Amino acid sequence: MNADIVETVNVAREIAWLPWAVQYFFLIGLSYGAFLVSLPGLVFRRAGWEGISRLALLAALVCGLTAPVALLADLHQPARFWHFYAYFTPTSWMSWGAFFIPVYLTGLILYAWLAYRPLLARHADEGGRLAGLARRIAYGGHESRNALVAAALLAFVGAALVALYTGVEVMLVRARPLWHTPLLPVQFFVTALAGGLGLTLLFNRGLPGGGEPGATRRMATALAATQFVALVVGGVWLALGLSGLSPTHAQALAEVAPSANWQVSAVWAVSATVVTLLLAWKRPASGLLIGLLALHSAWMMRWTIFIGGQEVPKTGAGYYSYQLPLGPEGLTGIVGTVGLWIFLFVVLTTLLPLDRLGKAGT
Amino acid sequence: MRYPKPPALSESRRAFLRGIPVLTAAAAIPPAPAFAADGRHHWAMLVDARKCIGCQACTVSCIQENAVPEGSFRTVVSTYSVKLTDADQPAGTYMLPRLCNHCDAPPCVPVCPVGATFKREDGIVVVDGDRCVGCAYCVQACPYDARFINHETNKADKCTFCAHRVDAGLLPACVETCVGGARIFGDLNDPDGELRRRLDAAKADVKVLKPEQGTEPRVFYIGLDERFQGKVEGQGTLWQPRKRHG
Repeated sequence: MNADIVETVNVAREIAWLPWAVQYFFLIGLSYGAFLVSLPGLVFRRAGWEGISRLALLAALVCGLTAPVALLADLHQPARFWHFYAYFTPTSWMSWGAFFIPVYLTGLILYAWLAYRPLLARHADEGGRLAGLARRIAYGGHESRNALVAAALLAFVGAALVALYTGVEVMLVRARPLWHTPLLPVQFFVTALAGGLGLTLLFNRGLPGGGEPGATRRMATALAATQFVALVVGGVWLALGLSGLSPTHAQALAEVAPSANWQVSAVWAVSATVVTLLLAWKRPASGLLIGLLALHSAWMMRWTIFIGGQEVPKTGAGYYSYQLPLGPEGLTGIVGTVGLWIFLFVVLTTLLPLDRLGKAGT
Repeated sequence: MRYPKPPALSESRRAFLRGIPVLTAAAAIPPAPAFAADGRHHWAMLVDARKCIGCQACTVSCIQENAVPEGSFRTVVSTYSVKLTDADQPAGTYMLPRLCNHCDAPPCVPVCPVGATFKREDGIVVVDGDRCVGCAYCVQACPYDARFINHETNKADKCTFCAHRVDAGLLPACVETCVGGARIFGDLNDPDGELRRRLDAAKADVKVLKPEQGTEPRVFYIGLDERFQGKVEGQGTLWQPRKRHG
């Protein structure tokens, strides 16, 4: 900071992408991350992954259905969402995103339905809760392998497009050096995958007996790998900033390095990642803890990037200060998305109880 | 540096006087954009920072003219206290009027997901309020912090060079009220216009904010200290406008 200049009058621009946006990027990330975890067991039929993959698919579904609501709420004119479809603008990644989300969700819902049909039928046959509804949704309960693979492929294309657009639309904002880095989409992806694994670990923990140890270990290994990649990417970011090889990284670093808030956030994020890595690697049985840590890191990374990033003035000196409002534009919004998530989780696990999903084999 | 000699009769004043009958006529008939979208004009502004006295008359007149909600600003004069080393007094004051730069390569336009923000043929960057969804992507993309979400309309808002006034042959409100004559508004395509003449006369001294962003701003500055050309390195202001969100 240059002590010779003191800003005496200026405008503090308020946060324009609200905590709703953080919730959207968090939930859609968890969704596509968990979707990827669903593939080894359900599509590739990898031994030992069946239960994990069915749990992961539930995580992908609950988060995927909640995320668009948060996105809609972040619009200051939510009733005009149809403008996205009426006025397609190919120069805008956000405009493309409005088309990628339905592709992903259509694929995901179809894939989940095809994957869960036999389980729904069994649930109905065994007289589980809402058996009538389960039977109706199961629609015969047939297993249709080819259709499942096709739906998974559609969801995969959608997931890849969603992962791409959510990263690139933020990366392209040249006005914010902190966002304007090609590493950002990679960081979003890695933390999303880790978050997807984390949520699946939590579901796994909810099984009778705390989940099958083999499944927990497999997920812990995968989680350790994501944390390692996250640290490497973070290291590359820091190296680019410190060395001055990349002006945008150097500028981003110069903007945030003097701030005590940012220093604490950076130390916190790195520590959480290192702890997750070590626990997942050395103590893979600590499924609940590493799952929570991975979720925490995925959320915190997005909060820091979006809310923290918007606290950096583009022209003025110093930082804007953000305080979380209690209303819908702040805390209530976050609580609201969590509430919707819980509601969907309860509905889906009524039809598809976790223990039924988590059982090894089919 | 010496100021360029001001013209005998200000073009701005002439334009204003010429505008009076237009305004009275406009009261009688529905306003038709006289100059809009014909490509003949290329509106721009020159800010002579040396002449700004930091009175914020532009800030206030803009709020009045455009009904800008409390706590939001389409233009403001950023004011800085700067330590002096080459003078007897310990510090001086530096004033920098800020507004939308009406860039020729506006980063806010391509990102808009519904094509609501666009550059008119006369160079003015505007938001179609009927189409805007309030996603605030343009707010993020603007390198000048010139855009904001208007909490009364819930749409993206920004300086329009007072397009409604310009279309009626009037000057933007901030130019009209500038006490020090620091804001000169005019047509880049008019070789005899005051703006063009002043720009040509100042040539090497003319700067824009954040040129490295490649946005080609059409708000030019004379007397722009390099320390204030990009993000200002200094101690941030403690004052913030009262927030009225939601």
